[in-house]
Amino acid sequence: MTTVPLAPVRRWILRTQSAHRERGATLSSLYIGVLTVAIIGGMLHRQLAEVFWPPHPDASGLAGASLTALCYGLLYLALRRFGPLALSRAAASWLLTAPVSRRSLLMPSLRIAAAVAAVIGALMGVAIVGHTAPRTLIGDEIALLTAGGALLGLILLLIATAAQAGGRWGAAVDTLMSLVFAAGFAGLVIDTTLDEPVAVTAWPPAETLVPLVAGVAVVVVVILALAVRGLARTPSDHILDASRTAGTLFDTAFGMEPSFLTDMIERRYWAGRRLRSIRLPSRLPVLVAQDIMLTLRRRRRLVWLVFAAAFPLLLGNAPAWIVGAAVLLGSLIAAMTATGNVRTDAGNAVLLRLLGLSSRQAVLQRLWVPGVLAALWSALALTALDLLGDLPSGPWWALGLALGPVGAAAAVHRARAGFVRNDLLPLDTPMGTLSTGPLVNAVMGPDMLLLGLPALVEIAQGNPLSPTTVLVQAVVGVIGARAYLSGTTDTNRTELHR
Amino acid sequence: MEAVEVEGLHAGYGATPVLVDVNLTVPAGEGVCVVGENGVGKSTLLRCVSGLQEIESGRITVFGGDPGATPEFWRAVVTTVEPPTWYPGLTAREHAELVCRAHGQDPAEAGIDEALERFGLAKHADAIPPSLSSGQKQRLVLAIALLRPSSLLILDEPEQRLDREGRADVAGLLADYMAGGGSLLMASHDDDFAIASGAAITTMESLSAVAG
Repeated sequence: MTTVPLAPVRRWILRTQSAHRERGATLSSLYIGVLTVAIIGGMLHRQLAEVFWPPHPDASGLAGASLTALCYGLLYLALRRFGPLALSRAAASWLLTAPVSRRSLLMPSLRIAAAVAAVIGALMGVAIVGHTAPRTLIGDEIALLTAGGALLGLILLLIATAAQAGGRWGAAVDTLMSLVFAAGFAGLVIDTTLDEPVAVTAWPPAETLVPLVAGVAVVVVVILALAVRGLARTPSDHILDASRTAGTLFDTAFGMEPSFLTDMIERRYWAGRRLRSIRLPSRLPVLVAQDIMLTLRRRRRLVWLVFAAAFPLLLGNAPAWIVGAAVLLGSLIAAMTATGNVRTDAGNAVLLRLLGLSSRQAVLQRLWVPGVLAALWSALALTALDLLGDLPSGPWWALGLALGPVGAAAAVHRARAGFVRNDLLPLDTPMGTLSTGPLVNAVMGPDMLLLGLPALVEIAQGNPLSPTTVLVQAVVGVIGARAYLSGTTDTNRTELHR
Repeated sequence: MEAVEVEGLHAGYGATPVLVDVNLTVPAGEGVCVVGENGVGKSTLLRCVSGLQEIESGRITVFGGDPGATPEFWRAVVTTVEPPTWYPGLTAREHAELVCRAHGQDPAEAGIDEALERFGLAKHADAIPPSLSSGQKQRLVLAIALLRPSSLLILDEPEQRLDREGRADVAGLLADYMAGGGSLLMASHDDDFAIASGAAITTMESLSAVAG
């Protein structure tokens, strides 16, 4: 088969596209981009300095190692999720199927991915060094460590690219990296409970670092060259998948519509699963039984939720109300594990009509499983805080259980939020025009967490927890969820929307 | 009481009138099949009777009441005029079982496996519906519609994507449904299928007082 050279095709596409743009459109986009970064950087430079280079190192050796595992594990998982090699949707439709060189087609994508991985890797390196290294380090060492971070990012990119092109071992590496990430998280939690000294004094000197970094750099360059040679072997279906992800991400960002992304992730998840039909548990109401089945089919997510119950512990240095807010948000996220069905019904009530259920019956039944998940998660998180953190005495697990109805109402409300409404009036602010649709959509769901105010106040005040507070929270939660049910549903209507 | 009564129905999309002064009666326990070219408004008529589309004027009653969004209406009426959606993480068979359970049927006695077999879906019982072909999805909807109890079936071209044998089977099932007291309103392109199901055939033109 003859191969058509790609460069002239690309040049022609670029020329034709730019002919349709206004003169100077690219320059003005660039100007706005740089200005935005400058403004945000100017506004947040103190916080950024705190994140990347605090005045004094403030993390122990364990925390440093855990942060490394956590950050780079996350980078790898993100690279895998987004490809890492992807094409624009148009290129995937028209150029992937054309007789052009596959390698030159994918090269720009590899270049961008490599730049992103290296920059993020370097930034992570700076931050980790900034938090752990003694301030006696000289500039050379810092530069070498930063370069090391960038190289680590590149290595992860190369593994991810090979996994994208390769066979089943890719899934095994993904699991391994998830474990690395989880280990990093666990290490951070252990570190906050141990109060280890902030004393990493023995950093390798520049004489050791130079050959090490140089050696790794040589290896990376060689493997990169091999990767470029083998680029054409990446299977088309993997590239198409990644291109769809990239396209959906673009739609989500451009249309400010997060549901595109969540729907895609959910569709992919189930498309990749092999299921066996089982009998629905017969003693429970039918929709409760269905929600239980859905939840039990997401065991891996349940394991992550159990892990995440330790997350509020990491906020030990933050103000107490932030810890409280994290517990409330966590209960919402835990409850959302079981709201996929109510999201389906809210989008289109075809199945509810087929089931012949009223919106009141449906939502009431759909509240149970999210409620149990939220209650168990909050109880777990508050117990962890009670045992390992610095909560005052009291039956915190009971307060967690009392948060169940709050998490359930919030999660079901979130699932019923639907698409972003773009017909709402924009707000004019001194910073520019703010579209209200995405804002209103984003707070639908979390707004119901206000029902957890008694718990939030209790955690924020830091007083010993009394059973009365637990009772108040339970009553407020149940009454609130009940009011939500009667306010937004009807026994005489199938549709979940009015 | 008639199952469906339509009098002087006007409906359309925006400025385009699709149904002009349409009259139709489906007696309880009997079936009516509306035939006609694509675009004459068969599906729009079925959507109006299902209460899924707003009408401009006229009157529609289903079992003496308004077609509507109430759970009672949807306990009596099953329609296939809408494209289906599916629950995440639920197999084809489990969708059927869920619907049967919601109507108080014993899944073991409802004949789910036989229904899937009859519609050529037995091998796909463990598949999630989004992974099925469009024809298989339509057959799954039809299988579930016929499994659950109802008093009125509103079917839009149920013979589509069925082979000859499948058509004969479904026509037989519809005849049984009416023999059991159910009423049927359907749109179809296949006269033989309509005759085999025992439904009375009528054209869109004959329903419209203006055109007729």
